[in-house]
Amino acid sequence: MKKMTRLTKCYGLFFLFLCFLWPSAGLAIENSECMDCHSDESLTKECTDNILQTSITESLYVDEDKFNHSVHNINGITCIDCHTDIEELNWDEELPHKMYLEPVVCTTCHEEEGEAYKKSVHMEILKKGITMRCYACHGYHYVEYSETATVAERGNNYCLKCHNPYQYHEWLPAKEAHFSMVECVVCHSPEVPNKIHLNFIDLVSNKLYTSNEILDALGVDYDEFMPLLDTNKDGIINSSELENLALMLRLKNIHAVFHVELLAELLPIAHEVKRGTAEQDCVKCHSANSTYFDSVSILMTRDDGTIDRYEVDRAVLESYNLSHFYLMSGTRVKLLDKIGFLLLAGGACGALGHLTIRIFTIPIRRKRKTDKK
Amino acid sequence: MNNEKRLYVHPGPVRVWHWVNALGFVILILTGFQIRFADILNIMPLQDAITIHNYVGFTLIGNYFIWLIYYLSTGKIKIYILDVRTLVPMAIKQMLYYGYGIFRGDENPHHMTPDNKFNALQQQAYAAIMLIFLPAQMLSGVFLWKVKGYSDYIHLLGGIKTIDTIHVILFFFFGSFVMIHCYLATLGHTPLAHFKAMFTGYEDH
Repeated sequence: MKKMTRLTKCYGLFFLFLCFLWPSAGLAIENSECMDCHSDESLTKECTDNILQTSITESLYVDEDKFNHSVHNINGITCIDCHTDIEELNWDEELPHKMYLEPVVCTTCHEEEGEAYKKSVHMEILKKGITMRCYACHGYHYVEYSETATVAERGNNYCLKCHNPYQYHEWLPAKEAHFSMVECVVCHSPEVPNKIHLNFIDLVSNKLYTSNEILDALGVDYDEFMPLLDTNKDGIINSSELENLALMLRLKNIHAVFHVELLAELLPIAHEVKRGTAEQDCVKCHSANSTYFDSVSILMTRDDGTIDRYEVDRAVLESYNLSHFYLMSGTRVKLLDKIGFLLLAGGACGALGHLTIRIFTIPIRRKRKTDKK
Repeated sequence: MNNEKRLYVHPGPVRVWHWVNALGFVILILTGFQIRFADILNIMPLQDAITIHNYVGFTLIGNYFIWLIYYLSTGKIKIYILDVRTLVPMAIKQMLYYGYGIFRGDENPHHMTPDNKFNALQQQAYAAIMLIFLPAQMLSGVFLWKVKGYSDYIHLLGGIKTIDTIHVILFFFFGSFVMIHCYLATLGHTPLAHFKAMFTGYEDH
């Protein structure tokens, strides 16, 4: 027993020694401690920490379920990793930490994003007295993986919070089509590489199918999806393989068509949106050789949130397998051009041929006219 | 000039409609090429081509309805209605004339009158153009103009690529038609006779 007590003392002293060396090891604040108060939906504060710096009542409630699904929680980031000025919680006080916390500095971790942002138009508005922090766009606690997010989701979550695209873009034809199929960043941060995503959509309900729904219908696992499709084993889904996929789904009563969107890669440079540099040269995209279509893929989200990207041959964009997608000039069906030029050549040759014969047969007509007289 | 030999075959509204249509067709074909081959052609900026194409397209849709209302209200639409009893023999006769007789200096088997100004081949071609191809071109054009707004109809018809295919094939067809039409217009009793008639309304007979 004595031996046990001595051992406990030894371990206890060692633990205290460690705590002395590294205070947070002993005082580390668990998320659950924060949630003791922040799970209260009525918890609010008055603050001016918003884009217009006006006083507003801000909710301090954190939806734990949603936070648990956030990219930060998935990566093991705790409350105090961001709220670094909370070093301890004093439970003797009604408010266990100081009343006004410092704004979270996201660039501590997201350095490259921060550097790109500093050069952006959103940083420039600081001169007008408007401070725009990361969470004005990204939100606070519920930042999710957005690689598979659609144009609408990305737009609604970011740019459209402040900008109404219809107030600008007077020069842009087919505004609705552009705004629904092309992410803002594609034109407004032209340095960022682009990619085309193919999603499955039910045209009747206008609903996008989830990865699980597609896999369940096909009766395969995530790892079996590509081998099922890629019959020639070249690692790329080509036109006929895509057609087979549509057919397999149709046999399972899923009448999905491919919904195509042009998105920007999620790279730090995407934050470097500058004034006056937006791409306005339509031909950059509306061209058969456009680099905008170099990366075409189908994305599947696994249950753990990770994403599988399956490469698709860009030639499918020009095929009738994607009959619900057409990017003027850029993804034109080349066969139609051939048929068209045959029609034009047929018309021109017919007229010219007939004219030539008419010219050569002038003597015959003259002779007959003279004979008649 | 002997007025008795002249027939009034192209009334004013038809002539206005024709020349507005002709000018519109040329503009639509030129801008259409720019839109379809934006990466190859550089006649004008793409957005300008689209804007012009849209405005002219709608003008021609309006113009089409001038034609339709005029022909329906005057009953002249019957010149486009095919008579199945005489259609085939008359068409063969006309084909023989264009393919052979015309070179020998034979008389045109069709004699134009204000109520029967088209020969059997013209009648078939114009009936198809005015009652099928042009409406199809106009409708597909309107769908392509507002892809999102008409997405339900577009999906119903098989998708945007199907609509584009219709519009593009008809675009090439009309391009070819304009060339052949202009050439056939030189087959009057003088090369410019039909052109003049479409300005004056009177066809020399």
